[in-house]
Amino acid sequence: MELIKNTNINFLDKRKYWYIFSLLIIIAGMFLITLKGEKNFGVDFVGGDLINIEINRKTDVQSLRKIINEIKIGSFTVQELGIEGKNFIIRLPQNTSDRVIEKLKENFGEGILIKGVSVVSPSMSITLRKKAIKAFLIGLIGILIYLTIRFEFRFAVAATIAIFHDILVVLSFLAFTGKQIDGFVLAALLTIAGYSVNDTVVIFDRIRENLRKTRSTDYLTIFNKSINETLSRTILTVLTTLFVVLTIFFFGGETLHTFAFCLIVGFIFGTYSSIFIASAIVIDWLKKSSARLKL
Amino acid sequence: MKTQFYFKFGIIISIIGVCFYLFYPPEKKLKKGLDLQGGVHIVLEIVKEENIDKKNLSDLADRVLEIIRNRIDALGVTEPIIQKEGMDRIIVDLPGVKDPQKAIDIIGKTALLEFKLVEEDEKLYKQALEGKIPEGYELLYLKEKDERGIYRETYPLLVKKEPELTGKYIVDAYMGYDATGFPDVNLVLNDEGSKIFEEVTGKNIGKRLAIVLDGVVKSAPQIKERIPGGKAVITGKFTKDEAVELAIVLRSGALPAKLNIIYREVIGPTLGKEYIQRGFKASLYGAIIVVIFMVFYYLHFGLLADFALALNILILLGIMAGIKGVLTLPGIAGIALTCGMAVDANVLIFERIREELKSGKSPKASIDAGYHRAWTAIIDSNITTIIVGIVLFIFGEGPIKGFGLTLTIGIIANLFTAVYVTKTIVDWIVINRKIERIRI
Repeated sequence: MELIKNTNINFLDKRKYWYIFSLLIIIAGMFLITLKGEKNFGVDFVGGDLINIEINRKTDVQSLRKIINEIKIGSFTVQELGIEGKNFIIRLPQNTSDRVIEKLKENFGEGILIKGVSVVSPSMSITLRKKAIKAFLIGLIGILIYLTIRFEFRFAVAATIAIFHDILVVLSFLAFTGKQIDGFVLAALLTIAGYSVNDTVVIFDRIRENLRKTRSTDYLTIFNKSINETLSRTILTVLTTLFVVLTIFFFGGETLHTFAFCLIVGFIFGTYSSIFIASAIVIDWLKKSSARLKL
Repeated sequence: MKTQFYFKFGIIISIIGVCFYLFYPPEKKLKKGLDLQGGVHIVLEIVKEENIDKKNLSDLADRVLEIIRNRIDALGVTEPIIQKEGMDRIIVDLPGVKDPQKAIDIIGKTALLEFKLVEEDEKLYKQALEGKIPEGYELLYLKEKDERGIYRETYPLLVKKEPELTGKYIVDAYMGYDATGFPDVNLVLNDEGSKIFEEVTGKNIGKRLAIVLDGVVKSAPQIKERIPGGKAVITGKFTKDEAVELAIVLRSGALPAKLNIIYREVIGPTLGKEYIQRGFKASLYGAIIVVIFMVFYYLHFGLLADFALALNILILLGIMAGIKGVLTLPGIAGIALTCGMAVDANVLIFERIREELKSGKSPKASIDAGYHRAWTAIIDSNITTIIVGIVLFIFGEGPIKGFGLTLTIGIIANLFTAVYVTKTIVDWIVINRKIERIRI
């Protein structure tokens, strides 16, 4: 079977619109993130308590909120897991989990199961934040070093911009959907960066191969041809990886939910950016300089 | 030619055998992380005194670590992890611990035991209650249990600040029962401690001796006679659990510094099981969809890619078991992701073969060219993922480490299975069967 047969799509002609499309998402996302401030981050990055409970009779977020509100602890969130009205995650301010658990036990007695508790102090959250950022930066630098070794300067810069594009888009989507940034998200972002590069590399490799075959400077045609030739692979690979992250998203449970969400958005936009951002930028750059591309 | 194939198949089959042996049965051979097993993960930070230098702080942490290790050993947790992080932090992982709160209490308790003489002078005591505490004395509250078993402060005692004796002379501590049937804690002192205790009791007959634990008076019995032999008892209407706990912490000695729990994660056993089920289910579904899709799309070659995928996972699990790598929930996600990404190498190769066939080459030549020309792209795409995997393994925290680990091993194994193994099989079929047309 072949899904994609000898396509001849002019991907890069309307690239200005794609730039604008991406910029709009990113600007809106960054605006929302700035607006939300600390609320963007999970407990491991800002400190706080988190309880994971299961109640043996059907209840809802509202009634749980009411019970917890009876002891004054400041702002907290209750999130339902699944649809049975039995599993909940409660995010609480620093060091209030013991009191909340006591209160819940008073209310539900034996009917409540405390499945998990995390308590993160501010000093630990600073450490976790620093560690995660360090891992993220080292990973990113590793990828960038690899890119500069592997490619001509302009290609490397374009691929780098594509990486940042993907990361910012994913962060924006997290903000749009009200999901929190935590250690898992940074791990996902790094995975996306790796994926984005590898997708870009395959297209750039083909562009290079085709450039060597011809003496033409009609870059738009050569680039479009290369993208079309690799399109089948591009789509197949994003499909197989998406199959997997979609099943993780739907069946993997709460812990992996945001992680899988990032990967879904990231893989889609990582594929998109290889064509509409990375390749597009190289074309615009080549058009500006009169010298023929040396490879 | 033939012997070359035998050799190649020999390698592949022995690798399958070794990996299978390494990881089977998986419940026993694969090491589960704390998140999958349930348990407690805590990070303790030493409360720093002012102007303590780095060297002393680090030594202090070492001593704290040793004491915590003794306490955990007494709890009987299997395979605990206790390690120092930086200068002033101690990480404790207790997999599968039944009563997390109890474990946390035992680990974090300072357990500074002091014997302090009570000042019996009424006048001084009254003055102290009015706020005029004499030099060298302090007011400490006696905490006792009420009818409901909750500790309440009862009345204050005026005691000498300087203790007569501390817990550092204790050589053993164990639970016993007092005359009324309540559990108590029996102490055995060393020679030096025995001598001091004998002297103190001998000199202060009639006075009360307060037994102070972490700044709270547990009991203040009256000294009736000189006590030789170095034996003392702490009473206080303990429950059996409390007495056992207290005995453990006293036996292991007092912590030389106060500790703050700055991170605490308790994962109940049900949650761990749920994680395993969920993670396994998600990975399985993902893998099945990929497997079906590949056959659907590439026919026989799809089967080949699926075989490579199965082998890839087998090798991944084998290596995980072999190096005793820890499997975490994100680690399972990493295995699933490997399934999705692993077929990429075969997709690259197969697409290339299709192109070569279209350009009119013979099957054999197309296959060779396909593998050859896809190789650089495969290396390229795997290298970035390997970089990410290694970084997450080295610098990632807790469960994320597991993700980095499975991703790295999975992708490295992928180079072998998707390229070497499939090429060997394809070559063998094409040459042996003298195939002149292929469908892909």
